[in-house]
Amino acid sequence: MKRFGRTLLTLSLLGAMAGGAQADDKVLRVYNWSDYIAPDTLKKFEAETGIHVTYDVFDSNETLEARLLAGKSGYDIVVPSNSFLAKQIKAGVYQPLDKSKLPNWKNLNPVLLKNASASDPDNAHAFPYMWGSIGIGYNPEKVRQTLGTDAPLNSWELLFKPENAEKLKACGISFLDSPTEMLPAALHYLGFPVNSQDKQQIAQAQDVFMKIRPSVAYFHSSKYISDLANGNICVAVGYSGDVLQARARAEEANNGVKIDYSIPKEGAGSFYDMVAIPRDASNVDNAYAFMNFLMRPDIIAEVTNSVGYSNANAAATPLVDEAIRNDPASYPPQEVLATLYAIPDQPITVQRLMTRGWTKVKLGK
Amino acid sequence: MKRFSFSTLMLVLGLLFIYLPMLILVIYSFNASKLVTVWGGWSLKWYLGLLDNTQLMGSVARSLEIACYTAVAAVALGTLAAFVLTRVTRFKGRTLFGGLVTAPLVMPEVITGLSLLLLFVAMAQMIGWPQERGLMTIWIAHTTFCAAYVAVVVSARLRELDLSIEEAAMDLGARPFKVFFLITIPMIAPSLAAGGMMSFALSLDDLVLASFVSGPGSTTLPMEVFSAVRLGVKPEINAVASLILLAVSLVTFLVWYFSRKAEANRKRAIQEAMEQTASETWQAQPKQPQRTPATA
Repeated sequence: MKRFGRTLLTLSLLGAMAGGAQADDKVLRVYNWSDYIAPDTLKKFEAETGIHVTYDVFDSNETLEARLLAGKSGYDIVVPSNSFLAKQIKAGVYQPLDKSKLPNWKNLNPVLLKNASASDPDNAHAFPYMWGSIGIGYNPEKVRQTLGTDAPLNSWELLFKPENAEKLKACGISFLDSPTEMLPAALHYLGFPVNSQDKQQIAQAQDVFMKIRPSVAYFHSSKYISDLANGNICVAVGYSGDVLQARARAEEANNGVKIDYSIPKEGAGSFYDMVAIPRDASNVDNAYAFMNFLMRPDIIAEVTNSVGYSNANAAATPLVDEAIRNDPASYPPQEVLATLYAIPDQPITVQRLMTRGWTKVKLGK
Repeated sequence: MKRFSFSTLMLVLGLLFIYLPMLILVIYSFNASKLVTVWGGWSLKWYLGLLDNTQLMGSVARSLEIACYTAVAAVALGTLAAFVLTRVTRFKGRTLFGGLVTAPLVMPEVITGLSLLLLFVAMAQMIGWPQERGLMTIWIAHTTFCAAYVAVVVSARLRELDLSIEEAAMDLGARPFKVFFLITIPMIAPSLAAGGMMSFALSLDDLVLASFVSGPGSTTLPMEVFSAVRLGVKPEINAVASLILLAVSLVTFLVWYFSRKAEANRKRAIQEAMEQTASETWQAQPKQPQRTPATA
């Protein structure tokens, strides 16, 4: 029995090793968000290059980060959000890009590249795949009923002015539950730099929220999607993609709720899902081929048409479905793009300060 | 006559509590609407859509594969551990060994997962294996905690066994191996099956361990479902879940059916044997007291 067990173990180990050693040159391992690619993108890539793609999906930046920081993740292409990318670059997770291998780089939107470079100086490690903004999703009918027809729908004043917030309280206000995304909005509204590390300024930003706290229904980062769609709340600060999803749900449910999205004219936060190559990737050339493939206008436009998020590829815009391309929520005009800022990556001490302040805001004292 | 006694009411409520969610899940898998919570009429399109969704179906196949491997490995290892713990009553470090075997039962999965991940990374650096994490590492991880469950189930059964039967076999000249395979194994077979099925189920629904130790190309079904939830659950997932429910109920039913049949056969065989022995002894030596045949 002992010998039998040992033989079995040896055999299975050998089998596993043979399986592991089988890696040939024509493979690529991609780790992306779930539902974040067009159905035939990978097939096209495989047909054109003969590279076989192993495609896995993750549900949160934390999942991805755990894999990357543990080392030897095995992936050649990963897609973190920009705020996480910044931390991971500092941890030395990624290799710098050789842009001479990426001739399609010229297609990328320079304004968005500049915004994204807040997390990755000179865009040295990654390029933006899809992006979105953090603006105001609202129910125009209800808001106009409460605040009158001249409600400042395209300004942070809609929420940050206590008298407006007080009136909107009855129909429901929600904010994202994230100090690093919400406090910069208030900083920006007050005219301070969004990456301010000044205690005083952060305290003032916190005060903005403190004053309207009694009027806020809740702080939550995803609940507002269904609540907006069902008409339970009328104003939500949220991610553009989520608000558009709420709009689509409301349309599909046919419950008479209409939802709009606006990027406040003072400027708003934006986030970028960035494509990068881990330092220990084993198929670097194939990874470059895939990156370059994703920068092709026809390919990335198809992804946008299928997932609904805006891409950061200027050359692809004419190929995007008209309904998406002409929607200012997804494709804001160039001058609005320039008012956007990337969510800054703050040192841990400032983050702690913000988190503590945010907890006070949520508790309301 | 009381129509609805308290216990009937509790029974109904309990059953509803357990099975109503599953029923709703199955009903909504036939939903024509894309939104899980909005009813849009009957449709089979999500089941048809499954045929095209290679990613989801791939993860189902992968999960089933891992669950099968895990069940086999966990039963083998768990039985050995249980055997040692119940039969070898005195050896150095027995208490420690017993504790170690059952520790994974109470260990939070996150800790097991993290430690296994660190182990695999360190091993890859030191001995070059596992080169990359994948099915193999998930299998190992699942086996570590499933073996503990099997050990508990099997050792309970082993403790109840009548040692004299094994001793009788050895008296008649069987070597320990032969005794183990011909006598012990058949007697503990039900608990082996139970342990195996439990391991299968535990492995099939494990999310935490798998997400720690999986690698490229080894996304299991729970991981797939969990990451899809970010954009709202799609009825396709309901469809997969319904199919799994169907498969599980079918297997359970078949197991029950065949075991009932086997039990009936066994009873009949015993009955026949008893009658036969009785008539034989009566014919041969009517004076001798009747031997009662051993009941298994």
